Amino acid sequence: MLLLLANMFSLRLPIPLEKTLITSLPKTSTTYSAYSGMTRFQVCHRYLSNSITKRGTSVVAFQDEADGEIFVDEDFLEVDPLPVELQPELMPKHVAVIMDGNGRWAKMKGLPTSAGHVAGTQSFKRIVKLCYGWGIKVLTVFAFSMDNWIRPKVETEFLLNLFERSILSQVEECKRKGIQISVIGDTSKLPKSLKSMIANAEETTKENPKFQLILAVSYSGKYDVVQACKSVAKKVQDGLLHLEEINENIIEKELETNCTEFPYPDLLIRTSGELRVSNFLLWQLAYTEFFFNQKLWPDFGKDEFVEALSSFQNRQRRYGGRH
Amino acid sequence: MDFRDGAHNLYHIIVAIGYLGLQLLWYFMQIIVSVWYHISIVGKLRYLAVVIESEEAHQTSKVIKLLQWLDSVGVKNVCLYDMNGVLKKSKDTIFQIMKNAKSIEEVNEDVTHHAPDHMTLEFVSYVDGKEAVAKAANLIFVENFKRHDIGGELDHQILLESHLNQALQIVGCKGPEPDLLLVYGPVRSHLGFPPWRIRYTEIVHMGSLNFMRYGSLIKAIYNFTKVRHNYGT
Repeated sequence: MLLLLANMFSLRLPIPLEKTLITSLPKTSTTYSAYSGMTRFQVCHRYLSNSITKRGTSVVAFQDEADGEIFVDEDFLEVDPLPVELQPELMPKHVAVIMDGNGRWAKMKGLPTSAGHVAGTQSFKRIVKLCYGWGIKVLTVFAFSMDNWIRPKVETEFLLNLFERSILSQVEECKRKGIQISVIGDTSKLPKSLKSMIANAEETTKENPKFQLILAVSYSGKYDVVQACKSVAKKVQDGLLHLEEINENIIEKELETNCTEFPYPDLLIRTSGELRVSNFLLWQLAYTEFFFNQKLWPDFGKDEFVEALSSFQNRQRRYGGRH
Repeated sequence: MDFRDGAHNLYHIIVAIGYLGLQLLWYFMQIIVSVWYHISIVGKLRYLAVVIESEEAHQTSKVIKLLQWLDSVGVKNVCLYDMNGVLKKSKDTIFQIMKNAKSIEEVNEDVTHHAPDHMTLEFVSYVDGKEAVAKAANLIFVENFKRHDIGGELDHQILLESHLNQALQIVGCKGPEPDLLLVYGPVRSHLGFPPWRIRYTEIVHMGSLNFMRYGSLIKAIYNFTKVRHNYGT
């Protein structure tokens, strides 16, 4: 999952350009070339450009030059209008997603796993864009589970390295677009440089309340509850709370999802046909509507997201509001 | 004519024997499939949770029918949950009808390893979820502060997942993590089932209890037996 996020941020997508004006910016570091396999990196120079898309819209985009080819990231600000079958007043405020199936997708296509993650980044970008444009306030994605630490060290180090570079390259863009980045999870296990990067990203984008993107990294639902209890214990020790005052509401306020105004997901989507939450947001999912979809994450697109939202809205209409 | 009659009789005898043979074969196959099915379930489905929307949980007869179905297919360990504790109030009625069922409190050994001669039933409601975790955490804090008062170390960081697990046992939350959770009700949500217990639980929405079907139940259980868990790898 981390790999797909990393590839989202360093994605190179060729789109036709009518005009290109390149303004100077420092060149960036390496980007990852997924089609070359997991361990190969390709040096890529990144510039900021004003581009005109096929549709004649002026956009600010990142333009990459690598090996003589020029690639421009998709226009993030162009958003599809809300489909007629969805009602804006019934949109969920907080959507959580378990992005599952990149590896299986790649295997089915006879491609390396890395290609699955690259394809998965398309889905991730689509969903972020749709949430951003359709009035959903918070999107939480399960990027890296605490259970994933049992993977080979080479793999986890590689993933975290890419994640770090991705944050570095996207922070300013998110700040411009009003996207607040938050990261939840046990950061004690993360490399120092990544921890520093996360802190910087959160600080830089915190004043942008239009949309919040929460990345769950090295996260588990049980860890969240335990750290909440530890916070409560500290408050008791410091005299800020009495033992008799401790109840579930006190613990809830200390959960890491307290970084948002809407900490409880209204809708949880999991792809690839799996029917479990896999230690994700255990406390927070008490009244969350589940939508389990058979499609593998790279194949989860706008139609599938509309289906999930439509299903959610139909149940809301029939059974009223939730807690 | 005698020859014709003889041939006719012989034909009928052969048909009858063939028919009997086919029936015996059919019963034999059913036994094999049933035994294989029970082995599949017993091996994989060690603990089943059933979440019922509280409005529908008042239909005790339907709940009992569901339990009887589960017993018949070899599912012996069941946790029944509804948010408001309606099922807890129906506990006595259920045990009166389900004579081979015991409460989880009566079972001393590991509930998933008891002999399959009886069912084990656990009744759970919202207070056994988040509230129980708060109680368990409180228990740990109290113990920790007591230790500090008599000269021990006070360390709020000492609280670990394993400590909460133990404390939950002490406050009465003995049940294990269910392998499969079936939700009966109009909404696709587990309605506050104890969050500490559903890390890797398969969750299947079965629709309203009013329209429960044996076939759907079997299908949900069978589909579960085909699932492969990666647990993060």
